[in-house]
Amino acid sequence: MISKELDRAGVPVAVISAMYPVAEQVGASRIVKGLRIPHPCGDPSLPPELDAKVRQEIVRTALKALEAEVRTTTTFVPNRSTTA
Amino acid sequence: MFNLIHVLNQFFAGVGGEDKADIPVGIKPGPIGAARGLQEQFGDRARVVATLFFGDNYFHQYPKEALAAALNEARQLQPHVIVAGPAFGSGRYGLACVELCEMFAQALSVPCVTAMHMENPAVGTYRDYHNPKVYLLPTAETAAGMTSALTALAKFACRLGSGANMGSAHDEGYVSRGIRQPVLAQRPGVDRGIDMLLAKCKNEPFLTELPMEAWDQTTPAPAISDLKKATIAVITTSGVVPWGNPDEFRTFRNTYWRKYSIAGVQSMEPGRWEAVHGGYDVSFMNQNPHYGVPLDALRTLEVQRIIAKLHPFYYVVPGNQGAPSVIRRIGQEIANDLLKEGVDASLLVST
Repeated sequence: MISKELDRAGVPVAVISAMYPVAEQVGASRIVKGLRIPHPCGDPSLPPELDAKVRQEIVRTALKALEAEVRTTTTFVPNRSTTA
Repeated sequence: MFNLIHVLNQFFAGVGGEDKADIPVGIKPGPIGAARGLQEQFGDRARVVATLFFGDNYFHQYPKEALAAALNEARQLQPHVIVAGPAFGSGRYGLACVELCEMFAQALSVPCVTAMHMENPAVGTYRDYHNPKVYLLPTAETAAGMTSALTALAKFACRLGSGANMGSAHDEGYVSRGIRQPVLAQRPGVDRGIDMLLAKCKNEPFLTELPMEAWDQTTPAPAISDLKKATIAVITTSGVVPWGNPDEFRTFRNTYWRKYSIAGVQSMEPGRWEAVHGGYDVSFMNQNPHYGVPLDALRTLEVQRIIAKLHPFYYVVPGNQGAPSVIRRIGQEIANDLLKEGVDASLLVST
């Protein structure tokens, strides 16, 4: 809902969330699939360097979302090989 | 028998048409105009002690004066209930009814009921106030629905006047304000849930106990044309704040946001930040605040010149159980700040 106000103001925003179905339902425009609710940007079960790579991939996916022209709710999925 | 005031615009009070839309707040003893119809509906169950009226334009040109004058008149009469409208599809009239009801309910602690068409923009204002003493009934779009609207208002006003505990929007017939009322159910949740599921499987009607809010549509902001020139800000609802929670965020229902400096910070060290949030297990976030503010990744992208700059502040509100109207306001305030600071785009990390 915060994101929708940013969209209205003309500031593109990528929502990184593990609860992406909720973001889709609410009608956020650019959604990036996060890992888990308590840790959307990374995976604490991984060694720190891999965890950081996962985070890097999520943030890069978010940047791709910001570069993409979207007309309606669009969900972007980070590369699986790093987030599996 | 109870006393009430009926609030009408100049037109429905019978004072005049658009040419009289500038008249200030006035009051006449007893029912006049549409209030006569309301009194007829009541019979001897209730008495319209006065009709309060205002010009549609006056109310919006001088809202403070109009509200003060209305309060002054109503206070002296000590009504048990206040009825405003029906306003049907009229935006000016509808908004005045909602604003007056809100003010009467707050200042006089009197239950108020208004009525209008569901597409009247004031219905949104009514919902945003979610005042437990103010009710709104749906009507037809035009005054052709006057009789049925007055019947519904009279019936509802009698319920209010009787001092009865009001039930849910569904049971009482008013428009939902999004207020959840705890009730004691006869059967456990699991039984009720399975009943609903079975009904759904059989294509039979069933009634949810937790209706979802209907969301409005937004047009997505245009894409970033050149990331290399873009300043990116991070917003988080994870509740990651400086250690010690200096602005005293609560774990739920926060009503404000803050921004904290990350200028020159290369990494979100555990022990310097903490997560304040009552909706999820914050232990991972406390061990590694990057899960909520991915600063390390963004600094790398900054060094690699994939983005021009990470904005030196990140924005936070712990996003647990926020009321939609409050969250919308917070979103607008953050958006304004981002624009003022020249931020081009943002990442919102949501837990």
